[in-house]
Amino acid sequence: MAASAPELLPYAKIREDLFRPLSSASARYWITICAALSIVILGLSAWGIQVRDGMGVTGLNRPVFWGFYIVDFVFWIGISHAGTLISAILRLTDAGWRKPVTRAAEAITVFCLMIGGMFPIIHLGRSWLFYWLIPYPNPRLLWPNFRSPLLWDLVAILTYVTGSVIYLYLPLIPDMAQLAEHNVPWRRKLYRILSLGWTGSDREWHALERAMKLMACIILAIAISVHTVVSWDFAMSIAPMWHSTIFGPYFVVGAIFSGIAALLLVLGILRRTLGLELYLTKHHFNNLSKLLLLMSLLWFYFTFAEYQTVWYGNEPSEMAVFASKIRGPYAPFFWTMVVCNFVVPFVLLGIRKLRTVTTAMISSVCVLIGMWLERYLIVAPTLGNPRMNAASGLYLPTWIEFAITAATFAGMIVLYLLFSKLFPIIAVWEFKPHPVEED
Amino acid sequence: MADFREQSKLEAAILALKAAGIAADDMDVFSEEPIEFRRGILDRPSRMSLVAVLGAIITGGLATAGVYAAQHNYRLITGGMPVFSFWGTGVITYETTMLGSVLATFGWFLWESGLLRKRDKNIPVPTVLPGVMCLRVRCFDPHVTRARQILDSAGATDIARKEVA
Amino acid sequence: MSIDLDRCTGCEACVVACHAENNLPVSSPDQAEKGRTAHWIRVDRYYEGEFPDVKVKYRPVLCQQCDNAPCEPVCPTYATYHNTEGLNVQVYNRCVGTFYCANNCPYTVRFFNWFAPEWPEPLQLQHNPDVAIRPAGVMEKCTFCVQRIQRGKRDAATENRPLADGEIQPACVQSCPAEAMVFGDLNDPESKVSKLAGSGRSTLLMGELGTKPKVFYLERAK
Repeated sequence: MAASAPELLPYAKIREDLFRPLSSASARYWITICAALSIVILGLSAWGIQVRDGMGVTGLNRPVFWGFYIVDFVFWIGISHAGTLISAILRLTDAGWRKPVTRAAEAITVFCLMIGGMFPIIHLGRSWLFYWLIPYPNPRLLWPNFRSPLLWDLVAILTYVTGSVIYLYLPLIPDMAQLAEHNVPWRRKLYRILSLGWTGSDREWHALERAMKLMACIILAIAISVHTVVSWDFAMSIAPMWHSTIFGPYFVVGAIFSGIAALLLVLGILRRTLGLELYLTKHHFNNLSKLLLLMSLLWFYFTFAEYQTVWYGNEPSEMAVFASKIRGPYAPFFWTMVVCNFVVPFVLLGIRKLRTVTTAMISSVCVLIGMWLERYLIVAPTLGNPRMNAASGLYLPTWIEFAITAATFAGMIVLYLLFSKLFPIIAVWEFKPHPVEED
Repeated sequence: MADFREQSKLEAAILALKAAGIAADDMDVFSEEPIEFRRGILDRPSRMSLVAVLGAIITGGLATAGVYAAQHNYRLITGGMPVFSFWGTGVITYETTMLGSVLATFGWFLWESGLLRKRDKNIPVPTVLPGVMCLRVRCFDPHVTRARQILDSAGATDIARKEVA
Repeated sequence: MSIDLDRCTGCEACVVACHAENNLPVSSPDQAEKGRTAHWIRVDRYYEGEFPDVKVKYRPVLCQQCDNAPCEPVCPTYATYHNTEGLNVQVYNRCVGTFYCANNCPYTVRFFNWFAPEWPEPLQLQHNPDVAIRPAGVMEKCTFCVQRIQRGKRDAATENRPLADGEIQPACVQSCPAEAMVFGDLNDPESKVSKLAGSGRSTLLMGELGTKPKVFYLERAK
């Protein structure tokens, strides 16, 4: 029974367990970081080749002008909704089981946003001029076009990044204060600076709690708007099967879905590698699995509604896109997506006997694959089947795009590994003893 | 300064000290985790919500005005569509409103918690052990013995007195 | 502009002329296979019927210079906008290569410079000095030969006379052997193009989208 009540462990043991990863690193850690870093370097050199030679080194063509980069962009921004949902909503509903999960989730948000935010720069034909999208006074009297959904993207993502970093940083302050007695001198200094001289007085706690409550509400409002704005990159155009009013909520649901999957995966890995079985219990995974199942059902509802409407409406240009997805060249991806996003979670997580930590992790991996495919299926078939069907085309990505995509996954691993070594991955101060909750 | 291990005793001590005439502003409780006091014991009025809303409105308004000025500065022929459309820039208004509230909340938090204010170096800050709540009372000489009495009778452990110039 | 589909023979002289006039880059066969060729005006062929009763219809498609262009509001850097003469202009210096305009164009008439442009010898000697050579990473499309429009206006201004109808001809209009294309001022009700646009045979390509294109296709109603 002790395994289901981590809050009842003696406080000294909690501190020791959660601070232990910060003082040592195993060989496995170094190998993983080196491998991931080498993939990141490969991706960076791929991007360098693209900048030097031109966008022609990718698989993009006319009419498929957006490909992997936009898919990755939407995918990563989508995953970033993990932290917001878990942290903010559960904080607002005062659900106790969120406590060991929040910081990992908030970290996912920040890093995914950082990675996702790179893609609007990577996908540009002239990446080195990306700063022209930022409104700054210049002698040429040039301003960006605020009517463009891409500018809305810029503002929304900048807001979200700022909000998430602050939201991650605020609850980190008390832990930084506790870590100020670390053994390594430069880390002592780092923690002391980051803790801003936190003393633990009730004034500080009070202000922190008020700020967290406010931030939870605000960040929730921001998160919902951010992925809606990203979806409006597509919905505001008149391309067939993009110009759909459902895209706003559809993308938000998809984002939360993929975010929970990513969170589950990360927590599962953390649990095993850092030995946190006492803190990330089956209870947490059970709750997260239930959430994942719920989002899978919601996603299925939205997808079904979208496709049913298109099919029944039978409008020629939309049906061309629809046919290419269901029966045409994109059919294998489409049906894989349905299996990964709906069938697998439904079976593995819906049947109570099958719902374990391992099956939850398998479902998460499937969902992540499925959601990436879903983004791909939103971008490529529509562009490949434009309204003037004399101009149709197929999208065949090259190694450059694969390399950059792989590099983002590797980059996420690097960032997360570094984070888990510098900061406690579970918020120590939130572990106040409180009664056990029922499953 | 006095250490307590039980919240009820701490609350009793605070009430007793307030009854003896020591203001709530002169008392500080240090702990490793937030303590939820009942209402009326150690209330700290906060203006954070107001600041957040104000920050939101100001930033959102400034951003929209900025967009308006920019659109009119760079006049383009829109073929009948308006040069500045409120709903077209509505997203930017909304996002900058949120950004304003985030920054205002964070900034006000730093101020209200005292983290960024100039600290009086002479006032001692206790090192807190886990599970312990330390109550620090600031008072002048005649009150000190009375305060000690109250703290003692409330069941505090390890009462210490520090002289401040 | 008006294009008479009943006169068009599909010879693609307009395509070649446009290439020559506007310094369009030459593609290689494998780039063409990847879908990277740029033809600011292209002739789409539509086949009807079975052999031997095959009928072919030709439709030259170029930038329609829409009055309500979907490509204009979505460019984040204002690289494409409407000028006072009703042309949808593309500013090459300002384009950062977001590709949004091309995605939003229902006619798929926008082209991207995937690589720095190249011409096999000796074609690079044939460049038109009035037209910029676009670097890699920018979007381009038909400009209604804006350099010829500017030249025509300048000549008329120096000679102190108004522009005559039919004086300015984009390269495609000039080269069409069937005289299927007519270019002129739609604001002038007496111009040939206005009369043709108002005729009973005048149709718009995907006009129901509300883009208000300014290329009128003349064809016999079925």
